[in-house]
Amino acid sequence: MSDRRQDYLRSQKALGRHVLGVFPALYPRELAWAMNSLPVEIWDPPLAGAQAHGHLQPYICSVVRLGLELILSGQAELCDAFLFPHTCDSIQNLASVVHDYIGQERPCYFLYHPKAPVGPSARAYYLEQLKRLAGQMGDGLEPLTDERLARAVAQGQEIARLTAELYAARAEGGLATGAGEFYRVLRRGEWLWPEDHAAELGALLAAGRHAATRPRKNPGPRIILSGIVPNPPEVLTLLDELGAAVAHDDLLGCGRRLLFTPSQASDPWVALTEQYLSLPPCSTRGDSIVARRDRILELASASGAKGVIFLLVKFCEPELFDAPILAEELKTEGLAVLPLEVELNQGLSGQTATRVEAFLEMLG
Amino acid sequence: MSLIGEVKFEFMRDLGAPALMRLGKAGKKRARRPADPHFGPPLKCAARLKQIMTRHYFLARYAPGARPVAWVTSGAPVELLRVLGYYTIYPENHGALCGAARMGSRLCEEAEKKGFSQDLCSYARIDLGHFFSGQTPAGRLPKPDLLFASNNICQTVLYWYKALAHYLKVPFILFDTPYNYGSINEADIDYMVAQAKEMIPTLEKVARREFNEDRFKEVLDLAKETSLTWGRVLATMKQKPAPMTIFDAFIHLAPVVSLRGLPVALAYYQLMLEELEQRVERGVGAVVNERKRLMWDNIAIWFKVREFAKIFAAHGMNFVAATYTNAWAETIHYLDSADTWRSLAKAYSLVILNNNLNHRLGLMENMIKDYAVDGLVVHSARSCKPYSVGQYDMRRILMERLNVPSVVIEADITDSRHYSEEQARTRLEAFFEALED
Repeated sequence: MSDRRQDYLRSQKALGRHVLGVFPALYPRELAWAMNSLPVEIWDPPLAGAQAHGHLQPYICSVVRLGLELILSGQAELCDAFLFPHTCDSIQNLASVVHDYIGQERPCYFLYHPKAPVGPSARAYYLEQLKRLAGQMGDGLEPLTDERLARAVAQGQEIARLTAELYAARAEGGLATGAGEFYRVLRRGEWLWPEDHAAELGALLAAGRHAATRPRKNPGPRIILSGIVPNPPEVLTLLDELGAAVAHDDLLGCGRRLLFTPSQASDPWVALTEQYLSLPPCSTRGDSIVARRDRILELASASGAKGVIFLLVKFCEPELFDAPILAEELKTEGLAVLPLEVELNQGLSGQTATRVEAFLEMLG
Repeated sequence: MSLIGEVKFEFMRDLGAPALMRLGKAGKKRARRPADPHFGPPLKCAARLKQIMTRHYFLARYAPGARPVAWVTSGAPVELLRVLGYYTIYPENHGALCGAARMGSRLCEEAEKKGFSQDLCSYARIDLGHFFSGQTPAGRLPKPDLLFASNNICQTVLYWYKALAHYLKVPFILFDTPYNYGSINEADIDYMVAQAKEMIPTLEKVARREFNEDRFKEVLDLAKETSLTWGRVLATMKQKPAPMTIFDAFIHLAPVVSLRGLPVALAYYQLMLEELEQRVERGVGAVVNERKRLMWDNIAIWFKVREFAKIFAAHGMNFVAATYTNAWAETIHYLDSADTWRSLAKAYSLVILNNNLNHRLGLMENMIKDYAVDGLVVHSARSCKPYSVGQYDMRRILMERLNVPSVVIEADITDSRHYSEEQARTRLEAFFEALED
């Protein structure tokens, strides 16, 4: 299997699959799979181009900027359509810009998901939204049957099970895998077909567990990562080099959306709804800060993590509102906190690297 | 609610406030500014507006204990709260007030000291800064018993009110309005109606009152009439010369935002409309030599309203339309006391900022035609992502379709640290030249 995303997408298209470009963050991957379509998520493409500047103000976050750049630069040509979940104001408007103003002709689909505090009506509404989305996508992709959807839900649950096992093993210290490798494999799920990703997750689990049987010298401090995505990647490299162990995460692109509770419902639509509602608390859904704090505290307590590093993407409103309160509350509860303002793919400045080193030293 | 609180509130409302305002008026002997030769006579109703808003903020101090107090977003369906007698405070209105009083940056800094990023909405930072420091030009804001928001204007209010709820330890209710990517459907309306009904028990519990459907109908009618009258006020600017400017409208929209659903707001706009119609009849313009007519896109730059008004008036240019001020007149006609809940959902979910950008573009095209607009000023407001993302493209398309020259001013609604006088001047000079070509 190719390590290069573009080659892999071409091979998938050769199998007759459609490619669906998906902007962050929360969406039912299973719907796309059931329509023989490969969702390819657009979080942080490594681009340096500047065409997006003609459409976006300088105060718009790099997730939105890089996503638009990907399309404008012609590097999303393999995508047959785009999906925009309703994540924040900037992605909401980006959907309109891509759909109406940049002259690209491919279909754009939209998913509105209810925001917290959710009442009883939210459940019925979300289920309705899934069906509405499936109806929209059915026009451009492949028809959906309940049987195909049920199979896709099962695939999603298998991925979730493996992911949960990886997270649990890591939290318990039973997975000797560096943060760089852990997130590299995990994030390949943003563009791999589920069976391919499941195989890689299984292999990572086996290798990490095997390596963990060997004694480790002077294990470094255990921390939790919070934020949107583990980017810039240099953060992970630095943590690995310094011997720190990422014990868990509160990252939107990772733990906050992948660690749902698999539903037992026989109706796949109900299962998807229950799984969405079971996701960990998230700023983009408007969940309470206390709920998010409590989850991080639980993760820290269970994994022995002593500190939290916040990777705050500049201009990301949902995260920037939660972060100061979370940081204060976590400190009160005895956790050390390091907020880092980052720009995606911009590397780590020497000053930031020094702050990380000092933070880890403080944790011992 | 307590009996003492109630008596105190009633006393201040009926006797104390009017007496204090008379005293204040007598005590303040402000030097009158020399009349600017570029402007027509000022609006007489402005004095009444000042009285209404001063009284509103003054009485707010006595509301706790007498009335349930709610902090509310500008796009939330406040009619639900009116039925239950809530005293409402609008942090956005308060933010604008702070911005106009040039206190915005100072209050933002108070929030930044607590770790809130300078990149966040400055209305939110002002509000949090006020919470941390107690500073305000409005005397004192009452602590709320409830926070009530709708994300029909932005998702920011959800994050902001969530933070407030955390600090204030009071219930937070969100009216979640699905974003209109294409058109809203029955499922969207069903969801909003169900939510509105689900929130009533909490609203009742905090207010210690029962929700009354008949009263709800009365309030809806009143809110609808108020917004329609506000729409008629704005429509007077279709006349040449326009009897007011959009800078006036920025100030005079306070009642339709903050006091919607109360008789005082309707009475005020009836008074204002009467004066404007008289000016139209007599051919009195807000700008003495109105040669060019402009449209404003986005929220005002509150700390620059007066300066901008002067600069444009000196060039014989008058702003006659704005997407922002129009927002409180655009969809309220959907309110229907014969179909209370569904009409409420429609009216509040179809507002400009909850709609796809093509909707806004169409609206702008219509306004440009209806108000005979010659040029467009786009305020790219750092604080407001839903208003600002997409502006560059809309500006380009409007130029292509209607040949309307435009200028983008990069600034902020209240934080003057994000405004460059030099850059704005250079851009405006080029814009003025383009308009004269």
